[in-house]
Amino acid sequence: MPSAGKRKRKKSSGKKSALDSALDQVTDESLAASKEEFQDLLAQAKVDTSELIRQNAQELEERLVLLKKRKIDKEDFDFFVENQKRDLRVFVDSQPAQSQERAEKLTLHVLEIAARVAIALI
Amino acid sequence: MNPNTAKNLIARNVFLCAAAIAITSCGTATFSKTGSDAQIESLRNFELAFIDEFAVPGKRFNAAAFDAKVNQGNAKFQQAIADEKFTARRPVLVDLKGQFDADATHLRSKASRGKVTPGLATEMKKDVNKIYDHALGR
Repeated sequence: MPSAGKRKRKKSSGKKSALDSALDQVTDESLAASKEEFQDLLAQAKVDTSELIRQNAQELEERLVLLKKRKIDKEDFDFFVENQKRDLRVFVDSQPAQSQERAEKLTLHVLEIAARVAIALI
Repeated sequence: MNPNTAKNLIARNVFLCAAAIAITSCGTATFSKTGSDAQIESLRNFELAFIDEFAVPGKRFNAAAFDAKVNQGNAKFQQAIADEKFTARRPVLVDLKGQFDADATHLRSKASRGKVTPGLATEMKKDVNKIYDHALGR
């Protein structure tokens, strides 16, 4: 896992992802801070060295896009977030103490913010 | 017989016996592990079929059929937990049962209100496959 610390969000290409485009349309001021934190943590998670963290970020992004496209609803989304959390708690607990905080931030914490941000997508 | 030769023979026989026991127990463990894996695969297939049957958008909800399937699932999981020879695997089966319970609760809630979404089955099956793969150490 890369070392902790705040890093700027990197864009792998000039093209925005479907999720970024959807999030750009969220103009709710009260969600601005959450949205920015979410995008930053999700970008970090997507390039993490841990496959499980990357996979979780990928799934979360796909499900937010499905929610935006109305292929699933908010109840489904929350159900899947709970599934992901249940699966990840074991992983976070099994990390060495020095990596645990970062692992939790990039998995469980990202999922919690996602549930808040998701409301603005529907 | 030379006492040294006799000692060597005894030592050799003890070694052969120990090796035979070790090999036999390994074989038994592998055999049982295979059986345990097959049991988990059977539970996976049951759960995937359950999702396919009830997570269908627009399908009329048949409460009796749903309850019968859930009862069948509960019995299958309970039997698998009781039959599991590897005690270390029991908590894994309990976790899988927890996932089945959560899936059944969500599916009942959605299907009984006619709120099954088009992406629900695919995403539920993704999560089921993931948790079963983890349970099998893949």
